[in-house]
Amino acid sequence: ATESVPRGVGPEFAKFYANKETFTCISNPSIVLKSSQVNDNSCDCPDGSDEPGTSACSHLDPLSPEQPLPGSVTGTTNTTRALPGFWCENKGHIGAYIPFMYVNDGVCDHELCCDGTDEALHVGGTKCENRCASIGKEYRRLQEERRQSKERSAKQRRTLVKEASELRRRVESKVASLKEEIANLEVQKAELQKKYDEVERAERGKVVKAPGEGGKLGVLVGLAKKRVDELRDTLDKVLDQRDDLQDRVDQLEDILSKLKEEYNPNFNDEGVKAAVQGYENYAAGKSTEKKSEVVDADVLEVLKEDGPDSGINWAEFQEEESSDADIVYNLEAYLPPSVRPFIHSKISSLKVWLIENGVLADNPTTGGPTESKLVKAARDALEAARAEHTTKTSQLADEERDLAKDYGPDDIFRALKGQCVSADVGEYEYELCWFDRTTQKSKKGHGNTNMGNFERITTEIADEEDRVDGKGLGKGPRMVLRFENGQGCWNGPQRRTDVWLACAEKDELWRVSESEKCVYRMEVGTPAACEDVGEPGAGTKGHDEL
Amino acid sequence: VKEHDFKKCDQAGFCKRNRAFADHVVANTAWESPYNILADSASFKDGQLQATILKTVNDAGETVRLPITVSFLESGTARVTVDEEKRQKGEIELRGDSKARKQRYNEAEQWVIVGGLTLDKEAKVDYQDDTQITVQYGPESKFEASIKFAPFSIDFKRDGDTHIKLNDKGLLNMEHWRPRIDASPAPEKQEGEDNSSSETESAETTAAQVPEAYPGEDQNTWWEESFGGNTDSKPRGPESVALDISFVGYDHIYGIPSHTGPLSLRQTRGGEGNFQEPYRMYNADVFEYILDSPMTLYGSIPFLQAHRKDSSVGIFWLNAAETWVDITKEKESKNPLALGIGSKTSTSTHWISEAGLLDVFVFLGPTPQDLIRKYSELTGTTAMPQEFSLGYHQCRWNYVSDEDVKDVDRKMDKFNIPYDVIWLDIEYTDDKKYFTWDGHSFADPIGMGKQLESHGRQLVAIIDPHIKNVDGYKVSEELKSQKFAVNNKDGEIFEGWCWPGSSHWVDAFNAAARKWWATLFKYARFEGSMRNTWIWNDMNEPSVFNGPETTMPKDNLHYGNWEHRDIHNLNGLTFHNATFEALKSREAGEFRRPFVLTRSFFAGSQRLGAMWTGDNQAAWDHLEGSIPMVLSQNIAGFPFSGADVGGFFGNPEKELLTRWYQAGAFYPFFRAHAHIDSRRREPYLAGEPYTTIIAAALRLRYSLLPSWYTAFRQAYLTNEPVIKPMFYTHPNEEAGFAIDDQFFVGNTGLLAKPVTQKDKETVDIWIPDNEVYYDYFTYDIIPSNKGKTVTLDAPLSKIPLLMQGGHIFARRDRPRRSSTLMKWDDYTLVVTVGKDGKTAEGDLYVDDGDSYEFEKGQYIYRKFILDGDAKTISSVDGEDRKKVKEGDWMKKMHQVTVDKIIIVGAPASWDKQEVTVESEGETWTATLEYTPAGKGRAAFAVVKKVGARIGADWKVSFA
Repeated sequence: ATESVPRGVGPEFAKFYANKETFTCISNPSIVLKSSQVNDNSCDCPDGSDEPGTSACSHLDPLSPEQPLPGSVTGTTNTTRALPGFWCENKGHIGAYIPFMYVNDGVCDHELCCDGTDEALHVGGTKCENRCASIGKEYRRLQEERRQSKERSAKQRRTLVKEASELRRRVESKVASLKEEIANLEVQKAELQKKYDEVERAERGKVVKAPGEGGKLGVLVGLAKKRVDELRDTLDKVLDQRDDLQDRVDQLEDILSKLKEEYNPNFNDEGVKAAVQGYENYAAGKSTEKKSEVVDADVLEVLKEDGPDSGINWAEFQEEESSDADIVYNLEAYLPPSVRPFIHSKISSLKVWLIENGVLADNPTTGGPTESKLVKAARDALEAARAEHTTKTSQLADEERDLAKDYGPDDIFRALKGQCVSADVGEYEYELCWFDRTTQKSKKGHGNTNMGNFERITTEIADEEDRVDGKGLGKGPRMVLRFENGQGCWNGPQRRTDVWLACAEKDELWRVSESEKCVYRMEVGTPAACEDVGEPGAGTKGHDEL
Repeated sequence: VKEHDFKKCDQAGFCKRNRAFADHVVANTAWESPYNILADSASFKDGQLQATILKTVNDAGETVRLPITVSFLESGTARVTVDEEKRQKGEIELRGDSKARKQRYNEAEQWVIVGGLTLDKEAKVDYQDDTQITVQYGPESKFEASIKFAPFSIDFKRDGDTHIKLNDKGLLNMEHWRPRIDASPAPEKQEGEDNSSSETESAETTAAQVPEAYPGEDQNTWWEESFGGNTDSKPRGPESVALDISFVGYDHIYGIPSHTGPLSLRQTRGGEGNFQEPYRMYNADVFEYILDSPMTLYGSIPFLQAHRKDSSVGIFWLNAAETWVDITKEKESKNPLALGIGSKTSTSTHWISEAGLLDVFVFLGPTPQDLIRKYSELTGTTAMPQEFSLGYHQCRWNYVSDEDVKDVDRKMDKFNIPYDVIWLDIEYTDDKKYFTWDGHSFADPIGMGKQLESHGRQLVAIIDPHIKNVDGYKVSEELKSQKFAVNNKDGEIFEGWCWPGSSHWVDAFNAAARKWWATLFKYARFEGSMRNTWIWNDMNEPSVFNGPETTMPKDNLHYGNWEHRDIHNLNGLTFHNATFEALKSREAGEFRRPFVLTRSFFAGSQRLGAMWTGDNQAAWDHLEGSIPMVLSQNIAGFPFSGADVGGFFGNPEKELLTRWYQAGAFYPFFRAHAHIDSRRREPYLAGEPYTTIIAAALRLRYSLLPSWYTAFRQAYLTNEPVIKPMFYTHPNEEAGFAIDDQFFVGNTGLLAKPVTQKDKETVDIWIPDNEVYYDYFTYDIIPSNKGKTVTLDAPLSKIPLLMQGGHIFARRDRPRRSSTLMKWDDYTLVVTVGKDGKTAEGDLYVDDGDSYEFEKGQYIYRKFILDGDAKTISSVDGEDRKKVKEGDWMKKMHQVTVDKIIIVGAPASWDKQEVTVESEGETWTATLEYTPAGKGRAAFAVVKKVGARIGADWKVSFA
């Protein structure tokens, strides 16, 4: 740029302004102006090129109300200007174009135009000094600082990448060993199956020979036992579920009683009023209601494994009885222990009487189990092998899923998984647990709130001013971790959090904001988000080194 | 809306009684009003008639004395004031040891009336005998008040014709004081109410109470009344004032805002298309208000105008108590045989106030302009606003932190969206303690304020009248210790609930309290506030969450022991006033125009700042409904008004948001706002094409700011509306009287009709006259005929906006970040040549936009004239400014010139290259670019770089 170039003209456009007598509008060569019309603070060219140094053509813009403009490409002011902006040379710093609308508006935009040339008309008495020397110096200092910091961060990142790849390797070797084990188990399983089948066939032959065995009742008893076991399992689950639900009821009651104490009764919100009224009725009802007499001890009693001392002694059926008639002899097995002696004596005398009078034959067989110990052992061994197989298979699936999961570039977040960062903001502490969840923890003891569970990694474009301390997102594509389906909001959606990542030397939760109800944004610095600058041979080659 | 939270007429005892009374009178043709002027009491002196009305209260002929004053004012306005002697003299007893004042409230005038009360010395008695007195008054004595003594009534005439009648129907009712005599059994309780009448005076006394207004009147509501669990002790018993006011031959009436529904008011006594309930004025915080309803809203202005072809008349009912207005219209036929031919409609109104004086001003027009001018001589004109406040306001409940505010500020710049003000709702405070900041989220209010200031922007922070009742909060402690709060009926500090929980209310009726209030705003005291911090007064109806109808108990006591019932509708104004006065000077030596937004208001609030229509919804019908509401404010003397752009509750779809910005760009007060539970919706979040369209609407507003400011100057001078409905600009075009969805802006000739319907891509604009109309954006000539509608394309990107021929208006075309940064920009003048092809005129007002220096002449006021033969356009002083010595601002304005003049509809003779400019003794040439007419488009010419100072005389010659 030479002195003769009009104010605001950037170096690449200087050639259009070389003529000293006339000026030709850049994209309208038919329009030739006197050079005194350049920068005379009045717009003449339909492309605005006669006013590189003033704001006179700043209304030639799709955002401004449209007006007819003969000669422009569109015939209206909704057009494109020939120049990208007002050129601030910023000698001693970095030259830049600034929007024409910032020119001569009475504000020194030093951060964009440190040489102060944007206010050459001194409107309203505005005078802007040239601050490029100090701004440039500070800028270079900061740049250097950032460069160094970036290098350190990149180093950190390389460490993380190493850790991540080591972790990956571990998972991979786990996968390999699991596969091997599973293969072995499959062989073992097949053998055991075979063995069991043989044993069982042999035993079945024996059983078949035994008279009276395998009668309807025997089958029924088998089914009944199975059924009882199922029911017992179900009851067990229901009990667990009940306990969970009770916990949740307790929590909800806690929340509601807090609501009742703390809500503003005059807040005009019919919804809240109705909720509180409802809770009061509920609470009143609860205090008078008789507690149901199902004592846990009873349930636990029922849940105990069957055996000689508790519940039903299936062995009495399976191992000693085999005839339908045995039902009568073993009726007492179905009875609660408390009445057994009484019934026992009655039945015994009846039995005796029946036998004595020839009504009932004497006990036909003694012993002869439905299943031999041999079969049982074979079956148990087979089942154990099956169970182990299932476990390992599912472990393998887990590990393989983990391997397939997106842990970001270079698998880097593998190194952070399970770690958390947190920050104090006002009355809350916020926490990000990598690849897990975000949480808001109240310092006033109102409990923790889940702000979202990790869903996926995405990329968004950040566009923010640089911060002096470097703790900001800056400009460009940034990784954004999405956490969704957190705790629901009162009258609102489920909480979610967008976690924006920027490069930093260490993991740090910089800022948390709730831009609207239940939608949070975290800005987090981490080496994991750094670009790898420097050290050739480092970075993604981690795999090969191992 | 929770309709059951608010009273219907039959749930307000006095309204129910007066409506029943009206029914009784209508049903009994033999009914005669028992109010008679005592003939020999009437005396007329210096423009004022004094007399005594005797009200006969029983068959025995007992009477009550009601002093009446009829004042004839220099402005041609008449005022009728009726008081009640016994109460006036304090010769009554209040029940329950009440400390309340015994008088009818007689101080409304102190708050509302600022001038225009000089008596008309020229007014004279034209005729007087034992039965009547006729007074001639007004300009050229064209007005006449004919006062009949028995029964009392007044006919107001203009040029010999009756226009307004008082008590023509005999509904005058002043409930005189009477002691409570409990008959047995005890008075019935109101249906469904937990009426606890603990007042057991002599229960044995069986002497029947004198029936009040008419035989068989329901007395159940004379004493305590309950509503929604709150009991009003009513220590003064029944005391309502009511009167019928008829507008003879008038079909349309306008005014008494704020209500939803059409600009031209509906009848209220049922029937198809009519309301069932009277229009109500009892300022209240109405949650999720409904459209098309006579329900009360946040503020009220009891100024009503009746209009017909060639004539406008009106009344102003000066009463601050709860007021209901029934409206009925009846066709009357002069010649019964003519069957409708020559029949005309008359409108009757029935005004019912709970307490206070009967005090009514009568305006006889004859134009809508006269009405507003006369009304404003009494109540004052619009304050000259801070110039920035005409820009765009970005609000949300809530910007959550100082960082958030700074971020929004940066983003607006990033997307090239101009704005002037960002707002903070209640969450910025430390636990809803006003004058404090939340230490965590607003740790650095000064840093925030400075960033805004760097681009000429402002911050508005909310300050409400409820003061948190908590120890250690200095404001609260001072309020209590100095007894500046409103008291309950027992004279103890009133405690109620609002945002902070338990709170007390500042009593701005108390001068000492206002003085104290002003100290709280000093920069030194309100830490974190700066010169660019301004105030928003919300909840000043007042809103009391646990009070009856979400406001204060009526038996609360204010300064001077006036009951809340007496002053309720004034409450918002007094608080607004206290803040307004506080902001004029926040440090020694400062004297600036305040900016204070209020939600509640009354007649006179226009002197104090802006209002908005409260908590609307993000729905198309609310956008549509906002326009008649804002127009109603404009014609009722409070033009600085707007609705929340985007709708407060809910989430507007993008099309609605965009259309709302396009409409909002034409609200005098232009603010977007959103509820805390709504999604973020700053214009840059809308995405394309919406963000660009919204930005264009904002820039349109900004480019026209010089014209908006000029319109506000006019409102400051005469209180003319800033946006004007058709009946106002074209009072003789009957087809326009009910149109309330299009309007003119100031005197620019700009005719706007915002699109308020979903998926609508055309609009029908009604054309009120034979002028030529141009499309604002294309200069197309609109093929139009007077009285017909034209259909205009209005895709989403387009705001239907026409330019009426014959005007010159000023713009500033350079887009800037804020209005403050436009201060020194050159002007563009737009000339729309009238249909005669030769003439146009317009004006421009400019001042420093901030100080009161304009009161000392520090302003520029230009008249622009396209002369009769389209040979010159000149700029002359609109007022005699020769004696003004230029101050700092005027000197700086020497830099500012006229850049371009765009002449739309330019004559073909202008097809030339150059014009001559003369100014300040010099002559030079400027380029003229002429573009001949094209497909439907008018020819236009642009004078480039005129170069003359905006403040100087100049002349551009085309010949």
